[in-house]
Amino acid sequence: MRLSSFRYLVKEGLRSLWQNRFMSLASIGVLVSCLLITGGAYLVFENIDSAFRKVYAQNKVLAYAQEGCSAEQLQQLQTRIENIVNVEQVQFMSRDEVLERYKEELSDALYQELLGENNPMPDTFIVTLSDLSRFDVTVPQIEKLDGISEISSSRDIAVTLTNLRSVVLAVGGWMIVLLLVVSLFIIVNTIKLTVYSRRLEIYIMKSVGATNGFVRMPFIIEGIVLGLVSGGASYGLLYFIYTRLSELFDFESFKLVPFSSVWIVLLAGFLAAGVLIGALGSAISMSRYLREKGGKTQDINRLD
Amino acid sequence: MIEFKNVYKIYDTGVKALQDVNIRIDKGEFVFIVGASGAGKSTFLKLIMREELPTGGEVIVNDFKLSKLKRKQVPYYRRTMGVVFQDFRLIDTMTVYENVAFAMRVIGASRRDIRSRVPYILGLVGLQDKAKSHPRELSGGEQQRVGLARALVNNPALIIADEPTGNIDPEMSYEIVELLNEINRRGTTILMVTHERDLVRRFQRRVIEIKDGAVVSDSVSLEVPYAAE
Repeated sequence: MRLSSFRYLVKEGLRSLWQNRFMSLASIGVLVSCLLITGGAYLVFENIDSAFRKVYAQNKVLAYAQEGCSAEQLQQLQTRIENIVNVEQVQFMSRDEVLERYKEELSDALYQELLGENNPMPDTFIVTLSDLSRFDVTVPQIEKLDGISEISSSRDIAVTLTNLRSVVLAVGGWMIVLLLVVSLFIIVNTIKLTVYSRRLEIYIMKSVGATNGFVRMPFIIEGIVLGLVSGGASYGLLYFIYTRLSELFDFESFKLVPFSSVWIVLLAGFLAAGVLIGALGSAISMSRYLREKGGKTQDINRLD
Repeated sequence: MIEFKNVYKIYDTGVKALQDVNIRIDKGEFVFIVGASGAGKSTFLKLIMREELPTGGEVIVNDFKLSKLKRKQVPYYRRTMGVVFQDFRLIDTMTVYENVAFAMRVIGASRRDIRSRVPYILGLVGLQDKAKSHPRELSGGEQQRVGLARALVNNPALIIADEPTGNIDPEMSYEIVELLNEINRRGTTILMVTHERDLVRRFQRRVIEIKDGAVVSDSVSLEVPYAAE
């Protein structure tokens, strides 16, 4: 295609966007809403996933030794735990060390009093598993060992997060599919309106021998521009909302994933989705028109 | 140039628009197609423009066998002809110049070609001073001359004029047909559908009369009165 033709087609696409500016604006509004919900779902998922990974990484099992074990017994116990399949690492922490961890939180007098024989903390093995999915096999093995009194883990949190993640993934997935269909429907109808308002031009183009590709092009460009504008606007809005939310949820124990780590996926996703929906929507709308009415005189006569 | 061989056209609605039509129009001819409304003139044109396909028979135009024409070839086939409409079909948002240039642009002509060709054609139809006007600022006759310029601009071998004078007052009508005559003298085949006996009588050209879907007369002599209206 000639450069001048291309320029002409782009200009035509933008012109019709402007001529139907209210419909264009309405469809951008709907598209933005759809993209915002989709992007929101993605961010929710991303945050759950990040929390999940954090818990996963910290998911160490604490195995408490029974009271009154000798140093030798503890040493043996550590070796036995280390020999269990799927145990990656065992770190021993004596009851004194455990107590020391709470030093800050206890008053000085109380801390002094608890030192030595009065220490209520058990000797602790911090066990790291190599494959967390075999948790249910490995942990009972540790629990059964002589000298182990109790096991504690953050597994419950991990399980909750796993479930939540799959729910978000499933709901989000379906929602995104649904919203894509809605967006496509909106574009198809916007372009249909443009096509309707320009049917005389289309008829003349067809009658002087413009190819269907050429007739279609301005409408596809219009659709793509609609998609791009919507994608850009959605990105800006989501950035604004998300950074505000990040400020709100800025706690020691829970922080939102920083926007800097998701922006590229969001922006690329929004723009790609916009372009795709726009181009596809126009193509559907146009080919339907060209197939049903392309170049037929009767229509013009009846509608004029 | 144009050949109809035993052409039948029956619409889905059951209307028998054309029945066993045999016509041959040679390159460089000027032919009037006359007949009452509903006689089958429109169908005749639609078959030539390949807006419709015949139910039976064969239509050959500019060496294209229309029944064999693939969908993708239709645009290229259309470029061999120019069409003039009764209702002008000009785009109001465009100037006269743009309306004519539009026909070149949409078939991918270069800007340079458009810039040199459009003024030339506007001069040919006597509208060089109206290039910047909008269609609604022009008289009916002038608007039709824009339509004619648009039909001519891609240098077609055939001009199809569907009641080109139907919306124009009689004096202007004469000018339009005179213009078509001039174009014909330069070698372009002209096919003009009309209701107006006076025009046909004045120009002494081949006249094909269609009645109830069949060709009932085909002669240059206008002594044969035709059953218009």
